[in-house]
Amino acid sequence: MGSEMEPLLRAWSYFRRRKFQLCADLCTQMLEKSPYDQEPAPDLPVSQAAWILKARALTEMVYIDEIDVDQEGIAEMILDENAIAQVPRPGTSLKLPGTNQTGGPTQAVRPITQAGRPITGFLRPSTQSGRPGTMEQAIRTPRTAYTARPITSSSGRFVRLGTASMLTSPDGPFINLSRLNLTKYSQKPKLAKALFEYILHHENDVKMALDLASLSTEYSQYKDWWWKVQIGKCYYRLGMYREAEKQFKSALKQQEMVDTFLYLAKVYIILDQPVTALNLFKQGLDKFPGEVTLLCGIARIYEEMNNSSSAAEYYKEVLKQDNTHVEAIACIGSNHFYSDQPEVALRFYRRLLQMGVYNCQLFNNLGLCCFYAQQYDMTLTSFERALSLAENEEEAADVWYNLGHIAVGIGDTNLAHQCFRLALVHNNHHAEAYNNLAVLEMRKGHVEQARALLQTASSLAPHMYEPHFNFATVSDKIGDLQRSYVAAQKSEVAFPEHVDTQHLIKQLKQHFAML
Amino acid sequence: MAEVKLGMKTQVPASVESQKPRSKKAPDFPIVEKQNWLIHLHYIRKDYEACKAVIKEQLQETQGLCEYAIYVQALIFRLEGNIQESLELFQTCAVLSPQCADNLKQVARSLFLLGKHKAATEVYNEAAKLNQKDWEICHNLGVCYTYLKQFNKAQDQLHSALQLNKHDLTYIMLGKIHLLQGDLDKAIEIYKKAVEFSPENTELLTTLGLLYLQLGVYQKAFEHLGNALTYDPANYKAILAAGSMMQTHGDFDVALTKYRVVACAIPESPPLWNNIGMCFFGKKKYVAAISCLKRANYLAPFDWKILYNLGLVHLTMQQYASAFHFLSAAINFQPKMGELYMLLAVALTNLEDIENARRAYVEAVRLDKCNPLVNLNYAVLLYNQGEKKSALAQYQEMEKKVNFLKDNSPLEFDSEMVEMAQKLGAALQVGEALVWTKPVKDPKTKHRTNSGSKSATLQQPLGSIQALGQAMSSAAAYRKILSGAVGAQLPKPPSLPLEPEPEPTVEASPTEASEQKKEK
Repeated sequence: MGSEMEPLLRAWSYFRRRKFQLCADLCTQMLEKSPYDQEPAPDLPVSQAAWILKARALTEMVYIDEIDVDQEGIAEMILDENAIAQVPRPGTSLKLPGTNQTGGPTQAVRPITQAGRPITGFLRPSTQSGRPGTMEQAIRTPRTAYTARPITSSSGRFVRLGTASMLTSPDGPFINLSRLNLTKYSQKPKLAKALFEYILHHENDVKMALDLASLSTEYSQYKDWWWKVQIGKCYYRLGMYREAEKQFKSALKQQEMVDTFLYLAKVYIILDQPVTALNLFKQGLDKFPGEVTLLCGIARIYEEMNNSSSAAEYYKEVLKQDNTHVEAIACIGSNHFYSDQPEVALRFYRRLLQMGVYNCQLFNNLGLCCFYAQQYDMTLTSFERALSLAENEEEAADVWYNLGHIAVGIGDTNLAHQCFRLALVHNNHHAEAYNNLAVLEMRKGHVEQARALLQTASSLAPHMYEPHFNFATVSDKIGDLQRSYVAAQKSEVAFPEHVDTQHLIKQLKQHFAML
Repeated sequence: MAEVKLGMKTQVPASVESQKPRSKKAPDFPIVEKQNWLIHLHYIRKDYEACKAVIKEQLQETQGLCEYAIYVQALIFRLEGNIQESLELFQTCAVLSPQCADNLKQVARSLFLLGKHKAATEVYNEAAKLNQKDWEICHNLGVCYTYLKQFNKAQDQLHSALQLNKHDLTYIMLGKIHLLQGDLDKAIEIYKKAVEFSPENTELLTTLGLLYLQLGVYQKAFEHLGNALTYDPANYKAILAAGSMMQTHGDFDVALTKYRVVACAIPESPPLWNNIGMCFFGKKKYVAAISCLKRANYLAPFDWKILYNLGLVHLTMQQYASAFHFLSAAINFQPKMGELYMLLAVALTNLEDIENARRAYVEAVRLDKCNPLVNLNYAVLLYNQGEKKSALAQYQEMEKKVNFLKDNSPLEFDSEMVEMAQKLGAALQVGEALVWTKPVKDPKTKHRTNSGSKSATLQQPLGSIQALGQAMSSAAAYRKILSGAVGAQLPKPPSLPLEPEPEPTVEASPTEASEQKKEK
């Protein structure tokens, strides 16, 4: 017996090495020797420690850091009542990205996504979502980086995560929540905190977690900032954002923590108050100067407000503090690419390659930058690598689409035609490829085929002005002025500053007004 | 009759109203026209919602027999872009009043707007039978025949319209027909008459200026473009055309000042950025020129002129691989231009690919019939390769072209080109002299022959280096003039908005790196 390691110490070692299952099993053995297997014995410290450790291990198995995971479902968006201003002033909302074009290149140079934002260098769940006006548009927009289907509701995701707990204990759940005496546990802070996290993350019972947190903060006479943050998280999960705001603010008065700033900013973003969120981040920067997460938060908000220049500045600040920040490098590189500086963008993407980022998108971007920077020897090699690394059909379609642009750039229209066709083979909903195929058909004089392709592109991507404008121009040329007018109006909605569209609409109105 | 003519010049609803009460003042149907005055009032105030409400009420009272209400409703549908519904309502009007030409005109107009030109011509002919002196019918018939590609009929109809009543629209349409048929002189005549008739129409002035520019009559082009800019200082097409003329004369700063106006209004105009790039090229700011031309190429990837200019600038910067790339792309889009092949050959020469350069020169000589620079550069290449006979043949071909140009136009040749030609001529003649002195057998003369031979040998390597450098230099220098010419040709691309706009945006896929999970 003397040669064996202390079991509790071994369990802690497993925990720190993130072998949570082994840790939980070992704690289970230790607790089985105790006569109170459903709750820790009050006079046995080892039993309490094992109990806490097991709770934490089970929690860590399914733990998600909620600061960055913020996926709005359709239910939250369509039935959104949290935004205070129904018709917000320009520059104070994330709802109207189209009217806040400041400092960046226009839509003719940098394409936009379905949500009306310019294409960014880094794909995050929250940047995909805007505030769609119709249910159809909401369903059409994919919500995550890994699936083309929208999320119906964010609460459904949390329910599914809880199913994992049924498999961990063949003897039944670790803690029987229905028979738990919350009042007793709330008076033991060490046990209560571990129990809270277990209930919130492992059992996904937000209401019971909120009850425990309320009793605990009451017991601590409202002086423990940690409990206020936890209550705020529960309110946030339940959708009670104003109550969450109060809790986070109160916690910040007692103890300023970076996480609390981030949580409170998330609340303001949900309430559609980006300016308040920006002010909060800057206040946090006064307390924590150079904090990368706060700087990155500011940059993200500016990017969502379509303020590319300010976003780029803050991403540069991020890189000064943490020069391996992948998101900042990718966003700045993309900014330089669309600002007529492919050579500078190439250096940023090469930096990502040196850091070990090795995926299809990076090589695609490298190929484009090499081509536009006139480093022709690396272009095709990069695209070949991108095609071999493509993980799904959408990525392969994007690579072929960009290869089509390379083919157009070298004047090889046959190769361009084949590339766009291959893009459509991989992804039959690639509206840009349809548009470009239509342009190539127009150059060959195939008007009817071009019109059919443009109609397909218009229906697939109503937010893009190119198919609408091209369709309007082709219809005007063959004399079908009604369809030309309808398409030109759609183009104007998508890109109001397009001079050619304005000219065409004026011309058509003259046609309609005169006999 | 005079009253009817006067009615024709006013707005269509007014003219219709002025006719209908006269023909329908019989006391049998007063209820049908009771609200026509109110409908008309709302319509001319553009209060379409109230107008629709009154129309609806009126049609209910009259069980759909109020022709004027249906007529105005159809006009409103057209203004909203619903041409099909408008057509149906106008056909209802035609059924209610078969003898009224206005209804038939409106039916034909709707068919025209829907793109059914053949049906529109038939209905217009029916309307012409009812009213033979209506300039609008003749004009619109001309427009329909234009769309049907029956240009002779279209010209007849448009001339008839001009005899009845002169309007800018008819002149513009006639000019377009002549341009479509490629008849530049007749188009200029038509536009001249149009400008006499309407001196302040900036569209006519601009078009006439552009046509003169294509013919090379710069003085008149400048006059008309200046007039257009006097009346409309922000006219996009006129500024581009005037700026390109200033570039031709070397006034790059003035042209840049003019382009600044357009750059604020239309920042995504490829011809604008192309011209700005060539202004910087003329001022020898090559990096700025490359930036502007690349932006123009990004916005219009199918335009061979921009690629031509990019190749030229890169040749000047001695970036021959990039120049080869751009010129190759330009040749893919425009395979029948000899100058592109010549520039490609210059790039290949500097990349030391002599065989392909020779092939490119052969193609350039085959395609180009009037540019002496092609033959001069080819001769320089052949001379440097030691093929004196072929070089001499090319030199003589160049001399033919030079003499032809001297006879036909007062164009002054680039001084570098002249100097290069003289040097090449001298080198070739020395060769001839050598050949000429060989048969002499006198010992004293032999010594002189040796002396001459040494002199020639000394000249050859020096000439080789200079010839190579100056061939490229003269090509670039001559391109300055031609680049101005290319700028002058750019007023054609201002018609670019009429072409389907290619997808200008390159969708770089976002770099998707997995985020590391943060630990508290």
